[in-house]
Amino acid sequence: MDKKIKFDAKNLDLFYGDFQALKSINLNIYEKEVTAFIGPSGCGKSTFLRCLNRMNDLIESVRINGEILFDGQDINGDIDVINLRTRVGMVFQKPNPFPMSIYENIAYGPKCQGLKDKTKLDTIVQESLTKAALWEEVKNRLNKSALGLSGGQQQRLCIARTIAMQPEVILMDEPTSALDPIATAKIEDLMFKLKKDYTIIIVTHSMQQAGRISDKTAFFLMGEVVEFNETPLIFTNPADKRTEDYITGRFG
Amino acid sequence: MGRKVKDTLAKGIIYLATGITLSVLLFIVGFIFVKGIGLVNWKFLTRDYNETVSYVFVQAAEVPMSIDADNLKKENPYDARYESLIDGPIYIKSIGAAIAKVQYRNNYTEKEQFVIAYIEKNSPLLNAKDSTGKNVDIKTDDIIKRINGINLKNLTLQEAAAQIDNESGELKIKVVQPGGGVKSNIITTLYMVLLSLVIAIPLGIFGAIYLTEYAKPGKFVNTIRFAAECLSGIPSIIFGLFGMAFFVVALKFQISLLSGSLTVAIILLPVIIRSTEEALKTVPTSFREGSLALGATKLQTIFKVVLPCAVPGIATAVLLSIGRVVGESAALLLTAGTVAQIPGTFLSPGSTLTVQAYYVAKEEGNIELACAIGIVIIVIVIVLNVLSRFASDKLDVFNKK
Repeated sequence: MDKKIKFDAKNLDLFYGDFQALKSINLNIYEKEVTAFIGPSGCGKSTFLRCLNRMNDLIESVRINGEILFDGQDINGDIDVINLRTRVGMVFQKPNPFPMSIYENIAYGPKCQGLKDKTKLDTIVQESLTKAALWEEVKNRLNKSALGLSGGQQQRLCIARTIAMQPEVILMDEPTSALDPIATAKIEDLMFKLKKDYTIIIVTHSMQQAGRISDKTAFFLMGEVVEFNETPLIFTNPADKRTEDYITGRFG
Repeated sequence: MGRKVKDTLAKGIIYLATGITLSVLLFIVGFIFVKGIGLVNWKFLTRDYNETVSYVFVQAAEVPMSIDADNLKKENPYDARYESLIDGPIYIKSIGAAIAKVQYRNNYTEKEQFVIAYIEKNSPLLNAKDSTGKNVDIKTDDIIKRINGINLKNLTLQEAAAQIDNESGELKIKVVQPGGGVKSNIITTLYMVLLSLVIAIPLGIFGAIYLTEYAKPGKFVNTIRFAAECLSGIPSIIFGLFGMAFFVVALKFQISLLSGSLTVAIILLPVIIRSTEEALKTVPTSFREGSLALGATKLQTIFKVVLPCAVPGIATAVLLSIGRVVGESAALLLTAGTVAQIPGTFLSPGSTLTVQAYYVAKEEGNIELACAIGIVIIVIVIVLNVLSRFASDKLDVFNKK
């Protein structure tokens, strides 16, 4: 079955001032799959991830060449960035719930889009929390501060908050690096369920995690994509020597 | 010299410095309190600084006294610190009130006076009207000077009472409500705090938002920051001179509440901008990213996420500003004036507590009164401190778990 290409990066270069962080990246990301980016620290995988919803706009010195097609449209061109970000959600490395109630955290995105209807918001909150496997744990404390949740719950709250926007793609930047193994397992479970409805792109430092959850894996090194293929192939039969060295732990 | 000796010496110097600082502080506050506390009481806080003289018209009546003579003696409306009882009180039926002769210690009132010691519930004095027919509120401790044109000044208490009792029909009484209080100064101070904060806080917060969230870091922002720092170091008398030249003269606001608060607002701006900026900088970038990644606009991010997180810091800025307004004297002396009255409009003058303290100490040489005002200032600052700390705790979004 041929899946649809969601993101198509073509000869993407990215500079931080004079430093070139990404060197002519060419990558296709398919719909309703989990794509994992692996590689040593500073190899550009997070930078590339942040290109996909234009979060790099926040950094002053960034300059980008090349194009990224999202459903065929170049997102580096003249597009509505707000609209792009509602379609491409993001979950960060450290859980970053806003210092508001759990309910307000989930309702924040829809409210920012101008949704005021209380019943609709209630439905969205319940649906998102249920999808993020958090509803049972928090349904009695929706009006308590989100900062009172545990780290793992906070991260699932952030995922729920992203789901509340009904995005097409969810970007995850090392979402489990600040969590313990049990919370990590819960989030991995969740990703497995979510990939039915969403395209998920995850940056991870854990090769086991990439192996467990992803359909495709891209190996980044020094700002280049060394290898991009089906995950089982990458881990059992890498085409490139450097990939093999990295996944067998010889460097990185 | 051994290391131990050096350590002991250094330690000694540290303790000594702390001790000196503390004792100087305690000494100053103690001095103010010892000097001034004798004057501070409820009447001091609720009276105007200037005595008010009025002629009131009262219909004489026959009002019997409803309490017995012993109880009348126990009535004690006299302010022990301003006045002491010489004779009386004696009840006078025609005005339904008792008067007493007292000795005033206040510098600004003649020494011996007849004051109202007790007012009966249905006394005609309670319906006193001035010549325009407006009600005049006559209270105990008000001074009676003349009745129907007869000066009571050199009479004994008995003679005065007989004189008042003899009159009938409509009585014209000259009443002096004693001054010496700071009510108007307290109210002016509160007005000044409110008005200058209303002007300075929005400007300061929006300025800080511009500097931290919108401006591209570079020469321009650094220049603004440098200017703000310089401004906060300039002595307030300079701002006072500017305020006098610009607001008072050029804009024709006159010496007034408005000129004063605008001038103080300018003094406050750098403080508010700097501390709000610091508060905004401590809000984690991850909150901003999280909000933007949810498709919020920059403005929504600032107002819904960043600002609420910065509230404790902003509250500190407000707190500092309140202290600054309450403590400001040089600039206000030149822009808001020294008239001890409750400002009727934005364009009326009025003196704040600090200006009043300066005025009575310098122009009237009354150190005790100045110290008493000092106590009021200290108390107001402490109360406002506690209030804003309480408020910032309540508003701190990180506190609610």
